[in-house]
Amino acid sequence: MDEDNPGFGDPMTSDRRLRLWAVLADAARGGAVAVDHVCATAVAVTGVDSAAVSVILDATPRELMYATDRTASELEDLTLTLGEGPCVDATTGGPVLVADLTEPECRNRWPVFAPAAVLAGAGAIFALPLRVGGIRLGVLDLYRARVGDLGGEQLADALVLADTACAVLLDEATRPGGDRDDHSPERTGLRHPEVHQATGMVMVQMGVSAAVALIRLRAYAYSQDRRLHDVAADVVARRLRLEPAGTSGDRNG
Amino acid sequence: MAETQLADVFVEMADTLIDDFDVIEFLHMLTERCVELLGVSAAGLLLTDQRDTLQVVAASSERTRLLELFQLQTDQGPCLDCFRTGQPVSVADLALTTARWPRFTAASAEVGFASVHALPMRLRSEVIGALNLFDVRPGALDEGKLRIGQALADVATIGLLQQRAIHRRDILTEQLQTALNSRVLIEQAKGILAERLQVEVGEAFAILRDGARSRNRRLSELSQAIVDGSEQFAPGPVTNLPG
Repeated sequence: MDEDNPGFGDPMTSDRRLRLWAVLADAARGGAVAVDHVCATAVAVTGVDSAAVSVILDATPRELMYATDRTASELEDLTLTLGEGPCVDATTGGPVLVADLTEPECRNRWPVFAPAAVLAGAGAIFALPLRVGGIRLGVLDLYRARVGDLGGEQLADALVLADTACAVLLDEATRPGGDRDDHSPERTGLRHPEVHQATGMVMVQMGVSAAVALIRLRAYAYSQDRRLHDVAADVVARRLRLEPAGTSGDRNG
Repeated sequence: MAETQLADVFVEMADTLIDDFDVIEFLHMLTERCVELLGVSAAGLLLTDQRDTLQVVAASSERTRLLELFQLQTDQGPCLDCFRTGQPVSVADLALTTARWPRFTAASAEVGFASVHALPMRLRSEVIGALNLFDVRPGALDEGKLRIGQALADVATIGLLQQRAIHRRDILTEQLQTALNSRVLIEQAKGILAERLQVEVGEAFAILRDGARSRNRRLSELSQAIVDGSEQFAPGPVTNLPG
């Protein structure tokens, strides 16, 4: 009826939202929109290969909420293990857009992460902070094997989806427990509980705080060139025991 | 690096994006798109307020008589029925519904509408409002259009989540932190007990849960105390836990 809509600010962004949220609603098939739908939509509209959302918590530096595939999951694991990379920088700064991880500049900035991420299959990484006003919740990480920039349109889409991820995360967190019946435990729970279980065990084994125990686990995984959650699983299964500093195989930190 | 320039351009956008979100503007635009995409004459969105009463929040046109028609449905009409039942209500010919909604039918006829459809807006299991579509021609909406209409109603719901995230961000962030932190702390406490008591983590959880019950404490609270060392909880070798 109204062919024009004067007086309303930024119809471009609203149109973008409408379009993206229609894809999102479609992905959710009429059910509650969750962070996995946001990740799937991000992959679909930005031309990346995989996506993940991690949050920052008091109890742990980053907690993976969802990864679309194994590559994304491994790269998130790598980021937590090494404590550096675009996905770390984006949690404290603005978006970090890396078109080509093999560039020397990347090796200078993230000397351990950059080559490791390339080996894990990432050519380009686009890390977008999840922020609501001044509050930082975490990061939406987009991974692509092919090097090259994210187009302007795709980036604008990704930024809207990062906003949406915030809304969905906050909504999920405030959902009463009774409403979770339609979700699998994996969906509302933690992706890698064994990392935290192992943290608790190492706290007792080494007599250290949770933060230090996690650092010890990360250092061990790094020194052995293994995935953190694999190392954690070994600790939980008592196939591996970290000894107090200086007495075990974890060479450095 | 080329991406640094791109980043510069978009960082500002990212900084302002979420706070620029105006849910009323968005819902207004959504009703306009309903008219275009579904080929109906008018569309409106009605949402519940705190007292569980429907309120008109957006319409494809600001024509007063149309708004009155939407508003009327807070008392009677297909929108209210749709909201109450959570089911779509489709009236292919309003001339036949005088008995069901006398005032609504009369008001619709005055404006010139022949058919009306109402699609539920759901937030999880709760019905929070309805998308209302009017047409000057009689007839049902076909399956494809109903699906698009429902998708747009679902999109409106995401808009409300976004709005809520912005306006209640402090409370919601606190809740998110608390909820996720608790889960992490419970896992850490399981690991601590498993190691102290030399049991499997599954068994450690059972012990932790029983301990919380017998002490009448919340599982997350007891876990926090075990992790920070203020509660030793289990017999066994005493460890010094910093912090």
